[in-house]
Amino acid sequence: MRFRWLAVFPLLYAAVFIAIVWWLGGGEALGPFIIGQRLLVRLLAIAGCFLAVSVFARGDHLRTAWLWLGSGAVAILSRDLLRLLPLFQPANAGPGALVILSGLGILSNVALLAGVWMLARSWKMAAISLPGGRYGALAVALITAVLALAVAGPGALKGARAVAGGDWSSLILCVSAVVDILSLCLITPLLLTAVSLRGGLFSWPWGLITASQLSWLLYDAAAALAPSLTPGGFPLAEVFRGLAQNYLFVAGLAQLFAIRQVRRSAG
Amino acid sequence: MTTSSISEKVAERLTPYIGPFNARMWVKAVARRELGLAPEELKPAHLATLVDGLRPYLGALMGRVAADDLLLQIGREVH
Repeated sequence: MRFRWLAVFPLLYAAVFIAIVWWLGGGEALGPFIIGQRLLVRLLAIAGCFLAVSVFARGDHLRTAWLWLGSGAVAILSRDLLRLLPLFQPANAGPGALVILSGLGILSNVALLAGVWMLARSWKMAAISLPGGRYGALAVALITAVLALAVAGPGALKGARAVAGGDWSSLILCVSAVVDILSLCLITPLLLTAVSLRGGLFSWPWGLITASQLSWLLYDAAAALAPSLTPGGFPLAEVFRGLAQNYLFVAGLAQLFAIRQVRRSAG
Repeated sequence: MTTSSISEKVAERLTPYIGPFNARMWVKAVARRELGLAPEELKPAHLATLVDGLRPYLGALMGRVAADDLLLQIGREVH
């Protein structure tokens, strides 16, 4: 039951977020509200990752995976916090500030990719039999890769062209889009691991991480939409960013609860 | 306990954590790889080898400490 509530929490959060955005109606308070809630979901994601880290011993594969995810979340929160300082705001940011912001963004993306990659590799290390056989897994992988390319591909191409034209500030956009494509492709092993473990407690962390990755896919799609396609300037991308971060938070909690339950039952 | 129920008992204890499908597959894979036996051929004397063979799989999924705890429990409860 506790695990079901974990799965519901990000959806409830999204519903409350949407209700508040409508209530604020695009007024002056909307900007600070969005920034504040973004920091909140980043903090929750960090908490989830490090709670998961806390239940593993040094040298455990999954401890390293959660450590990467947590470090990535810390880096991106640091970037968001720096952006609040006058020195780092778009109008005032000099080349040094831009390098720091881009560096943190790239660091975060690479760390998140490393974490998702390690989680996705677990099925192989644990010799988990993926459902659907080789062809089933290949079909899901192909569908995911096409979706990932369709959603993040144009951004990667645009960023790469800008960098090639000498605009180094676009490097973060390019790296971010490429990392998005790679990590979205990893949805397949995560999803199939969760399905394979169904009926067992350990399907929850993988299922919730999959939900986080799917939310990032939707975030990328929403962020790529032209402003005219988001009615009334509704911050659709923020809804999906919140979902992605909150699913990472609850995935960390699910990992913690599942392992505690093993120890309690076996103790 | 009959000799054929060793694999079932172990799989039954793994099921709440890794689901029925993987529980059966792991026991089958370890029995084949470590003992060269089909699951239904396992006898109580094979339990220690079976448990040791499961350790790396469980360790990858839940960490070494939880895996050791669970395998100790299985060793205690399945004879």
